[in-house]
Amino acid sequence: MPEQLWFTQILNHLFAAPVTAFLRSLHIEPKYASAPISDSFSMELLVFGFLLVIFLLVRSRLSVESPGALQHAFEGIEGFVLAQSREIIGHHSEPYTPFFAVVFIFILVCNLIGLIPGFESPTGVPIVPLGCAICSFLYYHTQGFKHAGPKYLLHFFGPPMEGMPLIARILLAALMLPIELVSHFARLLSLTVRLWANIFAGDLITLVFFSMIPIGVPIIFSGLHIVVAVLQAYVFMLLSIIYVSGAVAEEH
Amino acid sequence: MPSTPEDPDRKKSPWVQVGRYSQLAFMLPAGTVAGYLLGSLLDRWLHTTWIAVVGLLIGTAAGLIELIRTVSRDTK
Repeated sequence: MPEQLWFTQILNHLFAAPVTAFLRSLHIEPKYASAPISDSFSMELLVFGFLLVIFLLVRSRLSVESPGALQHAFEGIEGFVLAQSREIIGHHSEPYTPFFAVVFIFILVCNLIGLIPGFESPTGVPIVPLGCAICSFLYYHTQGFKHAGPKYLLHFFGPPMEGMPLIARILLAALMLPIELVSHFARLLSLTVRLWANIFAGDLITLVFFSMIPIGVPIIFSGLHIVVAVLQAYVFMLLSIIYVSGAVAEEH
Repeated sequence: MPSTPEDPDRKKSPWVQVGRYSQLAFMLPAGTVAGYLLGSLLDRWLHTTWIAVVGLLIGTAAGLIELIRTVSRDTK
């Protein structure tokens, strides 16, 4: 049995058997059959549940005349995300804003939850940032296809080269195709590694200083961790906006 | 990739610039590693040994091109 957080223990106690059966039906053998739910997954579920409750609470108390503190806070976040996406994508950015706002809030809460004793940042495990990066990757390609149709595939053949002979354009396109494909996968990698490495390092530094000087000093690093958590959630959202803007941009 | 339509009236916030430039350091290594990983996967699939090296070179080129694109777009 691996060492588990209290919340993971509860989940494994309640759902270990059905989860193991489900995984085995998919031909996946969990490492520990009696504890198939990992800490990172349980923390993700907790964040998901927490956000769902908060959103339902805000939704049920929506008021134009007397908005509450929570409504003000979420309107502020939504306004901030909208301003950022409008600045990068342009005036037609509204349909994409909900995705960016959800990415920002989810990653922010995932980053910050590790500061509470008894919890752990799920983004400190590479699989979680990878999942978020795959969502972002699939989202911007889907939006690109929705926006431009099959012409979106032309993005992968490099910039349009009007005035060049056909043979040169074909050769250049053949050269650009693997480069473009690799650069799109590099985005996936850079989104994952940046978020994971920052949160992992932040957690580790706080832990190291806590074990050396347990009084006072860890507070400084916890403060630093809060700054890094907010900044990394923002950078992840910003890069998602930049990728969507590239996918839905018109050719000139 | 096409460039984003630049609206002259649209002001650029410093935060967006910070976000954009913070990824510059990641572009080159990410491209190189992604190229190598994709090449290795193809090698394993096709039972060859040379695609990883080609992937590494293509990845380096991809990282460099992405870097030049970002910098040249913002210095226009």
